[in-house]
Amino acid sequence: MAWFTDRHFFLLAVMFYGLSAVYSVFLWRMGFRKDDHVNYFLLLAAFALHTTAMFKRGFSLNHCPVDNLYEATTFVTWTIVAVYLVIGLWPQLRFLGAFASPILFIVGVFALMPELDPAPGPKPEFSGALISLHAATILLAYGAFGLGAVAAGMFLTQQHDLKFHKLRAVLSLLPPIQRLELITGRLVLAGFILFTVGLEAGRYLPRPEGASYWQDPKVVWSIFMWVVYLALLILRWKRVPSNRGFAISIVGAFVFLLLTFWGTNLLSPLHHP
Amino acid sequence: MLRRGRHVARNKFAPDASSHVPAGPKLPSEGWPFVIPHFAPMNVVVLGLSHHSSPVELRERFAFAEAKIPDALKSLRGSGVADEAVILSTCNRVEIYAATALESGQAFTELKKFLVTIHACEAGLGDELYSFAEPQSLQHLFRVACGLDSMVLGETEILGQLKQAYALAHRHGHTGVRLNKAFQRAFHVAKHVRTETNIQRGSVSVASVAVELAEKIFSSLKDREVMVIGAGEMSEKTARALLSRGARSLIVANRSLDRALALANDLGGRAVPFGDWASAFENIDIIISSTAASHHVLDRAKLEPLMKLRHHRPLLLVDIAVPRDIDPEVNFLENVYLYNIDDLQAIADDYLRLRKEELARCEAIIAEKVKALAGACRTADCADNTDNLLFRSAPSG
Repeated sequence: MAWFTDRHFFLLAVMFYGLSAVYSVFLWRMGFRKDDHVNYFLLLAAFALHTTAMFKRGFSLNHCPVDNLYEATTFVTWTIVAVYLVIGLWPQLRFLGAFASPILFIVGVFALMPELDPAPGPKPEFSGALISLHAATILLAYGAFGLGAVAAGMFLTQQHDLKFHKLRAVLSLLPPIQRLELITGRLVLAGFILFTVGLEAGRYLPRPEGASYWQDPKVVWSIFMWVVYLALLILRWKRVPSNRGFAISIVGAFVFLLLTFWGTNLLSPLHHP
Repeated sequence: MLRRGRHVARNKFAPDASSHVPAGPKLPSEGWPFVIPHFAPMNVVVLGLSHHSSPVELRERFAFAEAKIPDALKSLRGSGVADEAVILSTCNRVEIYAATALESGQAFTELKKFLVTIHACEAGLGDELYSFAEPQSLQHLFRVACGLDSMVLGETEILGQLKQAYALAHRHGHTGVRLNKAFQRAFHVAKHVRTETNIQRGSVSVASVAVELAEKIFSSLKDREVMVIGAGEMSEKTARALLSRGARSLIVANRSLDRALALANDLGGRAVPFGDWASAFENIDIIISSTAASHHVLDRAKLEPLMKLRHHRPLLLVDIAVPRDIDPEVNFLENVYLYNIDDLQAIADDYLRLRKEELARCEAIIAEKVKALAGACRTADCADNTDNLLFRSAPSG
């Protein structure tokens, strides 16, 4: 079916993310008392379609599909779902999906905007393993940051319910807050390590004539994000922010990342020549 | 045609060393067991007392010790009242389930006589006794198995007790086709109801609610340290519940050091003088407070500096005392989760309300299963009636 392109597959995946988001609202209304295996399978189906979309795009380009904002965004959402599907094998952590699917749906709808996916131009001057490593690790890092923010959101929800003696706190099937706090920290740490590797790989990529690396908006923004996450991890290690403060910071950092990622990408001569 | 249940002895229920319950249904006739025409349908009946119908003073007089149940069943079946029988005797109920060919009214009269005679109790039994024939007897059995007739709605202990009572009767050969089917189906229904409804969800006691809260805060209760301030009954129950779920160690602080030591020894922990409890605070994860103090034993001013030692580890405070031992302001501290007796009771009441909301669904499931079983039993009876020359498979012993 030549007319059924990779974008159609991604559209179907986004529709499944939407179904999952709707079901997540239902789970939330039920106080997370129902087991989340339906949501897990919805996201699994979406992941299958999403993976198909990425493979089709990759095969058509003959390299890892991270050339434009559409491809970068689909890659980030793909990593979030992939990590969730692994973590969600543990029943107690399966509810991460209920918190992740609304984000996946919204980001997916945004990614489908035609302006984000221009027709591929001439083959970029720089290609090969290094750019794939740079792009893949950076986007995986965003995925880990995203899932960390989701876990932090669950922590804040559960903590609020416990503090204010809501029945939902005991009735729900959400994991204990101590475990959510641990998962948040580990996901952010994993994301930070990947981010560091990705930024380091990016330093050695060839640049277009006249482009300054250290003055590139995307590079400046990336270093800023790297410092933010490093600071959060150091403060966490020193036990300076409270658990709640750390969770709020993680959510805030990722929201900032989401809101500014596309803009800085468009402004960057290195990423948007 | 021989009529079942003819009484040939004056005190047929008295255990008699020479009495012999033959293999198969008891029929006082010559030529038995070769001539067994039987056209009266078997009926599962139940007769009993429970906490709903009688006070404990009466129930305890008719309770059966487990060791005596096999003889009681033998005596009951030997009398010809019942072909099959199971006796359930717990702290909240004494019930006899029997498969009998007697007409229901007669069966209930004989079972009542049996109960009075076997316990040698002259006390009259009037409204305290309830009795059901099919299909209500099956419905009652299923309700009991599902915990719907229990003192605490939805409790699960009764199912284990029912299984034990059935296993005991079965082991001694006092059950047959009817009761086997009824009880096996009851166990299946209990499992079905547990899976499909929330009737057994959550905790309805203050101590269990405290444990559930702890499990929502801490990844695991293993390696958690518990402190009990004030060695009262409720705090002891809560501490026991936590220890049973894996909490590691227990420290007891009480104004009376002797009482603290006694409780600590009983629970496998250690005691500290009341004035020194703060010194052990750093490693404590859960505090259960139940003193008789008229003032706050723990307030924000005392707790805030102590929390700094904990490096953001969460702390669960369970204040069971009235008046409260712990200042409510403490709940505003980071990583502190304070629940007083009203909060815990409110959760327990909410759980009970949820269970009650599930009652209608449970009753509907039970009604459906009873209908199916009653129908199956009637079909089996018809089949049996046409098979009148063969020795029917029946309980032995």
